[in-house]
Amino acid sequence: MNLDWLDAFLIFGAFKVIEIMGLGLLVHLQLGLTRVANFGVVGFWGLGLYAFGVAYLKVDWPFGDVYQFLICAAIATIVAAAAGLVVGWLISDLDDDGTLVGTLGFATIVVILATTQQGLTGGALGLGGLGFPYDFGRVKTHEFTWLLITTAVVVLIFVYAWRVHRTPHGRLLIAVGANEALARSLGKSATAARLRMMMVTSGAMGLLGAMHGVMVRSLEINSLDVSVTLAALAALILGGTARVFGAVVGVLLTVALFDIVIQFYIPIPDGWNTQALPVAREAVFGAAIVLMLIFRPQGLLGQMRRPALMRRLHGDW
Amino acid sequence: MTSETIAPPGGREGWSKFGRAPAWAISLAVVVVVVVLAALFDFWATTFVVGATENAPLVLAAFGFALLYRLTGLLNVAYAETITLGAYFAVWMNNSWGLGFYVVLLPAGLLAGVLSVVTYLAIFRYAKGRRVGNLEMIVISFGLSIFLQHALQFVFGYRRRAFDIPPPTTIEVFGVGVSLFRLLALASVAALTTIVYQFIQRTSYGLQIRALASNEGLAQASGVRPLRVTILIWFVAGVCGGLAGVFYGAGASVESSLGIDEFLLILLVVLVGGIWGLLGVVVVGMATGVALTGITLEYGNSLYAELVLVVAFLGVLKFRGRRLTDASKV
Repeated sequence: MNLDWLDAFLIFGAFKVIEIMGLGLLVHLQLGLTRVANFGVVGFWGLGLYAFGVAYLKVDWPFGDVYQFLICAAIATIVAAAAGLVVGWLISDLDDDGTLVGTLGFATIVVILATTQQGLTGGALGLGGLGFPYDFGRVKTHEFTWLLITTAVVVLIFVYAWRVHRTPHGRLLIAVGANEALARSLGKSATAARLRMMMVTSGAMGLLGAMHGVMVRSLEINSLDVSVTLAALAALILGGTARVFGAVVGVLLTVALFDIVIQFYIPIPDGWNTQALPVAREAVFGAAIVLMLIFRPQGLLGQMRRPALMRRLHGDW
Repeated sequence: MTSETIAPPGGREGWSKFGRAPAWAISLAVVVVVVVLAALFDFWATTFVVGATENAPLVLAAFGFALLYRLTGLLNVAYAETITLGAYFAVWMNNSWGLGFYVVLLPAGLLAGVLSVVTYLAIFRYAKGRRVGNLEMIVISFGLSIFLQHALQFVFGYRRRAFDIPPPTTIEVFGVGVSLFRLLALASVAALTTIVYQFIQRTSYGLQIRALASNEGLAQASGVRPLRVTILIWFVAGVCGGLAGVFYGAGASVESSLGIDEFLLILLVVLVGGIWGLLGVVVVGMATGVALTGITLEYGNSLYAELVLVVAFLGVLKFRGRRLTDASKV
C-alpha cells in the first residue's frame, strides 16, 4: 500500500478524532440518556490503556502478536468494565454532586496508581515496547491500518448506541435519566439499569484506551490528563447530548477542527503548535461548554426525537 | 427576627449535628490531644506541626468553598481557578513590582474575590436566570474552570512561576522548624475562619445569608436583597480561595493547574466536614492535612497519602450516601 501522499501526523490527528468520537458516543449513553455526568472518563480510558500495557509487556504470553493483542485488549476491557461497575455502585445512590466526586475521585486514583506503581507501569518515566499486532513493513502502513481498525470499533460503538435507543434497556435508561423516582415507582430497577450501562460504557472506554496504547506504542503518564474527558464532553455538548449523532458532529467541529484543519491547513506562526495552540484548544473547548449550556443546552442537533422514533418503530399511537 | 427563627431546616442541627457547644468541645478536645501527643512523641510533633502549617491553605480553601457550597448549593468547580488566580495575582505583583510577600497577600485575595463575583454575575447568575438545571450548572462550572485555567496562561505566561522572596525565617515549634510564612498561613486560617464564622453567625448580613440559603422566597419576602447578599457570599469565598492560592504558591510554585490539583481534596473535605457545619470543615480539613503529612512521612510518598485519603473519603461518601451532599448544604 503506497501511502506517500498521506502525512503521518495526519493519520495521528485522524486517530484522535475517531478515538474522541468513540468516547463521545459512550458519554452520550451516560450523560445524554441516563444523566450520569462522568467527569472521570480519562480514568476508565487510562485504566484500559495501562491494563493493556501492563498485560502486554509484563506477561510472557505464549501466543503470536494477534492473539496477544486480543487477550490483552480483552483484559483491558474487563478491568475497565469492572471499574465501571464499582464506580456505578459507588455513585448509585448519590446526586449529581456525589457523582462528580465519585468519578473525579476514581480518575485521580487511576492516575496516582499509574504514577506510583513504577515497577509495573514505569511511573513518570513511562514504558515503551507496545506494538501493532501485525507486521506489514512500514510504520505508516501500520498506523493507517490501525486507524481503520479503530474506526471499525468506533462504528460498532455507534451502532450499539443507535440500537440502545430502540431497545427496552435504552428506554429504561431514558426513563431513569428523565425521572428516576417515577421509573422506580413503576417497578423498574434504576440501579441495575445504571450499573449495566456503566459497566458496558466503561469497558468500551477501556478498549479505546488499549487501542490508543497500540497507536502510541508506549505508556505515558502525561496522556492521563483532563483533556481526554474535556474533548469528549465538549464535543458531545456542542453536538447535542441527547442525540447519537451529537458526538459525531461535535467532534468534527472541535477536535477535527483543531487537530486536523488548523494544525495542517491553516498557516500559523512557528512555535504555536507546541504551546499556544494546545492551550487555546482547551480554552475554546471550555468556553464552548459554558456557552452551549447557557444558550443552547440541547446542542446543535437539538432534543432527542423520541415521539418520531416511537411512531416509526411502533406505528401511530 | 432572630437567628433562631430562620435557622436551617432541623434547627441548629442543620448546622452542626451535635449542636454548637459539643462541636467546640470536640475541637478543644482534639487540640488538647494533639498538643499532648506532640509534646510526648517526635513523630507526632513533626506530623502535627508540619501537617497543620503546610496544609493550612487546604483548610482556608475548603472553608471558602464550603461557604459557597453550603450557602448557594452550587458545586462550583471553577472555584479551583479562584485559588489559581490568587496565586497568579500575588506572584505577578511580586515579580513585576518587587512587592514583598506580605504586601501582596491582601490585594491578591481581594482581586480573587472580585473575580469570583465577576464569574457569578457573568456566568452563574445569568445561567440561573435561564433556568439551567443543577447538573448543567456543574458542567458549566467545569467548562469555566477549564477555560480560565488555560486562558490564564495567555495572560500570565506558560511557564511555572515562583515568588521572589528572601529565605523565610524559621521558628522552632515542638522542636520542629517551621517557616514564618507557613505560621502566618496557619494564623490567617484561624483568623479568617473565626471572623467569617462569627460574621455569618452573629451579624445581620450573616443572618441574611443564612436566610437566603435556607429559603430564598421567604427571605426575599422578609426584605432580604438576594443579589447583594449572594455577591457578598461569592466575594468572601473568593477571598478565602485567593489567599489559599497565595499560600499554596509561596509554598511551592505557581502554575495554571495549581487550583485544580488541590480541588478534589478540597471538595472531599467540604463534603465530609460539612456534615458538622463550617466548623466541621475546618476540623476535617486540619485532620486531612495532618493525615497527609503523617502518611507521607511514614511511606515517603505524598501520592500514597492522597490515595489513602481519597479512598477513605469515597468510602465515607458511599456510606453516607445522598445524605452527605444534602447535609453539606444548608
